Amino acid sequence: MSTDTTLASDTAHRLKTELRIFDCDVHPVPQAGLVSLTPYLPAAWRERFARKQAVHDGLNVPIRFKHPNGSVVRQDARTPEGLPPASSPQHLVADLIEKHEISGALLNCFEAGGLLSVQASTEESIVLAAAFNDLFIEEWLSVDKRLKYAAAVPTQDPVAAAAEIRRVGKHPQVCAIFIPLVDLMMGHRYYWPIYEACQELDLPVFIHVTGIESIFTGTPTMGPGTFDGYLERYTVIPQIGMVNVNSLILSGALERFPRLNFIFAEYGFLWLPSLLFRMDRTWRGLRHETPWVKKPPSEYLHERFLFTTQPLDGPDNPLHMQQLIAMLGHDVICFSTDYPHWDNDMPGTTLRMLSDDARRSVFYDNAARVLRI
Amino acid sequence: MAQETTPTRVGKSSDFEPGAIALVEINGREIGIIRLQSGELRAVLNYCPHKGAPICKGFIGGVWQSSGPGDLSFDASQDVLVCPWHGFEFSLDSGRELCWNKRSRLRFYPVHEAEGDVFVSA
Repeated sequence: MSTDTTLASDTAHRLKTELRIFDCDVHPVPQAGLVSLTPYLPAAWRERFARKQAVHDGLNVPIRFKHPNGSVVRQDARTPEGLPPASSPQHLVADLIEKHEISGALLNCFEAGGLLSVQASTEESIVLAAAFNDLFIEEWLSVDKRLKYAAAVPTQDPVAAAAEIRRVGKHPQVCAIFIPLVDLMMGHRYYWPIYEACQELDLPVFIHVTGIESIFTGTPTMGPGTFDGYLERYTVIPQIGMVNVNSLILSGALERFPRLNFIFAEYGFLWLPSLLFRMDRTWRGLRHETPWVKKPPSEYLHERFLFTTQPLDGPDNPLHMQQLIAMLGHDVICFSTDYPHWDNDMPGTTLRMLSDDARRSVFYDNAARVLRI
Repeated sequence: MAQETTPTRVGKSSDFEPGAIALVEINGREIGIIRLQSGELRAVLNYCPHKGAPICKGFIGGVWQSSGPGDLSFDASQDVLVCPWHGFEFSLDSGRELCWNKRSRLRFYPVHEAEGDVFVSA
């Protein structure tokens, strides 16, 4: 019996008696990169991408930033036919949802994130966003009702992004809107048309690491200069989460959009207590600079944000981990696997030290509160 | 205890103008005398409940208000004592922090005016 099977059966036993699980971060992959989008592109754009030989079957980052083992996707997650990991909805349902007894999964396309952020031009990003969304709605959501989708938007044009939200946002399995970030903090007015459309359709904003931050101009930047490799860059990605929590709260955007919620995927969450201590303390003294912030910053966080659990960092001592999460509050975290990526966390080995109540919140209830699932 | 309740003359009524803070020492305590916009006087211990700063060396401010991002108004009618260290704001009406529900508050002492003079019991 393999280790993997042991974990799966252990998980199954535990889940039948205790937990429902919703996975807030799963990455479907277009099987043939941009070529998979061809049927969903207007004819002229199809011709344009073909002539550019724009296959784009991965992140296409410089070698300095490539994963040291060659790929961010788990090669064990390939389909039995050898197709790329997470490129078949049927296989993803079997390998993730059925195997780990997960009741639903929020899909977001990692490749779309990079392209729509800056790797495609503004005009290209508008047609690509629509094509990505049509592909996943048509070929994935129809396969299984447990598959939900964070529709991607062309952030480079917030008005076009809002139109795309209104075009696809009423689909019953579209549960969130994925905004691939550009180099503007999320509290900036630039994003307001997008937030307005999300709030109108009662869809939370979903942000996720795009994998190209601080690599290409126009992406969110982390510190000065250039990172010296994948690991060095990876470890400080939480900076982007920190900056944007800070910006959304202190800009007053949450007062401007009082029914809008946010899910931050893959930025970690253990940094939140120190950020909140500092935000609250400084706001108490300098509140008059941002009088549109009506209450202590930490209150907004608990009301309006969720942070995915993966990649789960933390101390070895489970008691210390319990204490850190108690300090933050388990109401702001939601379970995620990041399937099929290398740094995944599966439910059977995630946060087992928490109380039953806390696990119910983290593994399902918090997501159900925010997502239309 | 008896000493605390004996009123001490701290000056003439005309010495204390709205918006100014006059520091006096009574029985080893440094106290700020502040005339509110209503004409009422406050005697405030010169000690910020946050981190012990000499809060009466701060300034009197009003309240900044807003209906949303970018909209700003200033309500000068409220008397607020702003600490010179971390900027925490305390209402001179209640002694409490403006925007934070903490139990700690400014310490006020009884103050009254009689025949053109001001007396503080501290």
